[in-house]
Order: sequence, then C-alpha cells, then structure tokens
Amino acid sequence: MIAIDHLSKSFRTEKGADHPALVDISISVPEGQFLSVLGPSGCGKSTLLYIVGGFVPASSGSVEVAGRPVTGPGPDRGPVFQEFALFPWKSVQGNVIYGLLEQGVPREEAERRVAKLLDAVHLKGYENFYPKELSGGMKQRVAIARTLAYDPAILLMDEPFGSLDAHTRTVLQNELLSIWERDRKTVLFVTHGVEEAVFLSDRVFVMTASPGRQKAVIDIDLPRPRVRSELLLNRRYQEYVVEIERLMENPAG
Amino acid sequence: MNPRGSLLSLPGVPPLLSLAALLVLWQLAARLAGIEGLPSATRVIAALPAIVFNPGSLIEIGASLGRMAIGFLIALLVAIPTGLVMGRSRAVAGFLNPLLALIYPVPKAALMPVIMLWFGVGDFSKMLVIFLGVSLPLVFHSYAGARAVDEKLVWSAMAMGMPAHRRVFAIILPSALPEVMLGCRVGIAMALIVMVSSEMIARQSGVGNLLFNSLDMAQYDTVYATIIVIGAIGFALDALFETVRRRLTFWAEVREETVVGTG
Repeated sequence: MIAIDHLSKSFRTEKGADHPALVDISISVPEGQFLSVLGPSGCGKSTLLYIVGGFVPASSGSVEVAGRPVTGPGPDRGPVFQEFALFPWKSVQGNVIYGLLEQGVPREEAERRVAKLLDAVHLKGYENFYPKELSGGMKQRVAIARTLAYDPAILLMDEPFGSLDAHTRTVLQNELLSIWERDRKTVLFVTHGVEEAVFLSDRVFVMTASPGRQKAVIDIDLPRPRVRSELLLNRRYQEYVVEIERLMENPAG
Repeated sequence: MNPRGSLLSLPGVPPLLSLAALLVLWQLAARLAGIEGLPSATRVIAALPAIVFNPGSLIEIGASLGRMAIGFLIALLVAIPTGLVMGRSRAVAGFLNPLLALIYPVPKAALMPVIMLWFGVGDFSKMLVIFLGVSLPLVFHSYAGARAVDEKLVWSAMAMGMPAHRRVFAIILPSALPEVMLGCRVGIAMALIVMVSSEMIARQSGVGNLLFNSLDMAQYDTVYATIIVIGAIGFALDALFETVRRRLTFWAEVREETVVGTG
C-alpha cells in the first residue's frame, strides 16, 4: 500500500525561481488497488509517480510504501515508462531477464520465468529481437514483461500507452487488465485519457492543471472482469466518463 | 540499367576509380612540373617494395605501431571512464571541463619538446604524447555520450536493485557506446597523426624518423612512398576499427555522422 501525505514538489527554474509542480497531495492506495492519476499535461502527475518511485525527491510531505518512507528506488516498485526505456543493447530476452539476474535469481529459473512472461505478453518467438527491430506496441510489451519479471508489489505506470496508436493502445489496455486481474498488484497509473482511466481503474485521482493539486477522487464501481465492448454500452461507465470529462473541462477549478 | 551504371554500383569500384584518378593526376603533375621534389607516381610506387620488404623499415614501422597501440590503449582505459563520470557528475565535469578546454586546442605535438625535456627522447615521451592526443577526443565523446543517456534507463536499472557503483559500466557505458566509439575513431586518426609528428620531433626511431631521414638524403621517392605507407596504415586501422564498431553497436539506431580528426 502507498500512503502519500501532504506531498509538495517545486522545481528550481533556470532563473533561480521556485516553480511549484505539486501542491499538498494526499492520497493512499490500498494493496491491490488500481488507481489512475488523471490530469492535463504538465500538471505534475508524472512527477508524483517519480516521487513514489524514489527517482525524484519530494520537497515536503511524505510518501510511505508498505509502512516505510520512500528514500530511493527499489524492486518493490516497478516502473513502466511511456518511452519504454528498454536497454537497446539487450535483446528482448536480455531485457526481460535483466532484473532477475540483477537480483541473483539462478539463470535456469530466470529463463523459465522469462519464457512464461513472454508468452503472457504474446512475444513468444521474439526472444532474440533487439528493441530497434520492434514496433512501439511490442516495445511496451517487453517493458511490461521486464517489470513484471522481478515481481514488484507495486506497478508505477507513467502514461504507458501514451505514444501508441489507438488500436494498439486498446489491445494493450485489454492485455494489461487481464494480467492485472490475475495477480492484482497495486497499480499507480498516470494518464490523461479519461476513458482509459475509467476502463482500467478502481479509483481515479483527478488533478488540476499546473501546479497540480487534488481536484477529485472518484470510485469506479464497475464489475470485473471488465470487457471493453460490454463496458462501452454500460450506462454507469458512460456516466463516469462524462462526469470526469466535465471535471477536466475546467482544468484550474 | 546500363552497363556503366551497374559497373559503378559494384562495391569497391568507385574507390578504385578515385584512386586511379589520383594516380593519373599525380603522374601528369609530376611530368608537367618536372622538379626533383615531386617524383612521378610510377617511381614512388616502384620505391614501395623497398620499404615494405625491408626488415629495417619494418622494424621501425612496428616500433611506431607498438607505441601507438600502448598510448591508445592506456587512453581508452583512462579517458572513457573519465568522460563517463564527467557526464554523470556535475561536480567532476565542472572541475575538469575548464582544464580540458584549455588543452584541447593545443596541438599535442607542440607539447613534445617540453615532454622531451622531462622524459627524454625515448618511447615513454612518444607514448605519453599519443596518449594525450587520443585522450581528449575520447573524453569529450564519452562525456557527451554519458550526458545523453536516457535517465529512465538508469531509473529502470535502479528499480531492479542495481547498486550505484555498477551503473557506470552496466548502464552508462553501453548506452553511451555509439558515441564513445565515434570518439575512438577520431582517436585512432589522432594517434596516427601524433605518432608521426612526435617521431619527426624526437628523431630516434619510427616511421616519422624514416620519413625525415629519406628527406635529408634527398630520396624523394622514398619520402612519398613512406607517406603512402602511413596513409595505408591509417586506412587499414580505420577499416579494422569500423568492423569492431559495427559488431559492438549493431543494436544502435542508425545515426550516420561524419568524423573529422584534427591534428
């Protein structure tokens, strides 16, 4: 579980002024919950995720993960970035196995786990491909498999489907949901897509435009497993989407 | 496709043609000028076997290449880590950048007289000056490469639990490798240039010495033949390096760049 308490972050601009990026964010994510952080571009939602990841320090306030304050990155929190961030000098296999070997898992066991994961993300047969030989959607599948490989308790997903075409995005959303519904990890999912947030999440944390503050927290009470085509006809789903769209129309308020 | 077009598109044909054109121009120029200092291409080519099959000059060339290899290898070991650490630490970069900027425009061969004062005219001085010549482009390219590393690659590795001290070699070096290799390529050209010029200043052994000895004795065809040998060595080293570079960075997104060495 993640507990974010009165968290603020400001950046020093080139001219030396303090620019607030996040102001007084408090939210906690119970274990196994899928929480989306939704907001307009530049509202600091990615920064929030980086702070939970331990990649960027907070200016004030605190973040605790499983009862311990975050002081740096750790394998309990696995990031997935919009830019994939694959190791370009490693093959698909080499990327996915990297974290396992880094943590001292014996090679044979690691290989078994990688094979299972590549199967789960439909990349069987691509083991020896290099990132530059893959499409965006395939790269993101590799990145997701690479993070799932070391079995983090929490997934930190930073607009993971943001750079993909609409069709690939839908396919990957479905795949992510079916993987998630199996092992129910805690997920912090940053996005600016309202429908994506409602489709995937248990709860949506809506932020204002820059500087990012809390605007609303909305529980998404929709049955699981969710099937996209059914959901699109679901009245409640539509109402959630419209409600949040309206919130987003006035970014400052 | 016409037959001429297909002949020109054969690999290796255009470079052979340009080489032939150069030789023809040279031959004509030598005929027209008719001076002793510009022997004809045919005479120079005839002088080549005397160098290539002469044990004495082969030993000289070998000595040059040996010094170059040692200077180059030590530069690799020192300059690449230095550049990588500079790229990851503002403090280190802030400290070293002004020093490097100061030395950068100085032709390394110009340091040779001072180095000779301190260390004599032997191998050590020459290897040191080669080391200096190779190090600077290598430091700068490694620095640029390390600075350009995608922060999220580093973060991904950190999230996997990689300790800080392993990051430089496990993440920064491979990420920066395409850029580092560009530095190596410039470095090879620099090494060759500095090698020859250092031997022309500290005339004791080596190809540069060979060159100036024949100049002193007015053996102009040998002078030109030696220059050809030096050029051929440079060409061969570059070709060899390109093979190594392609093997090591085949995974990189293709980014063609022109590399220009400065003497």
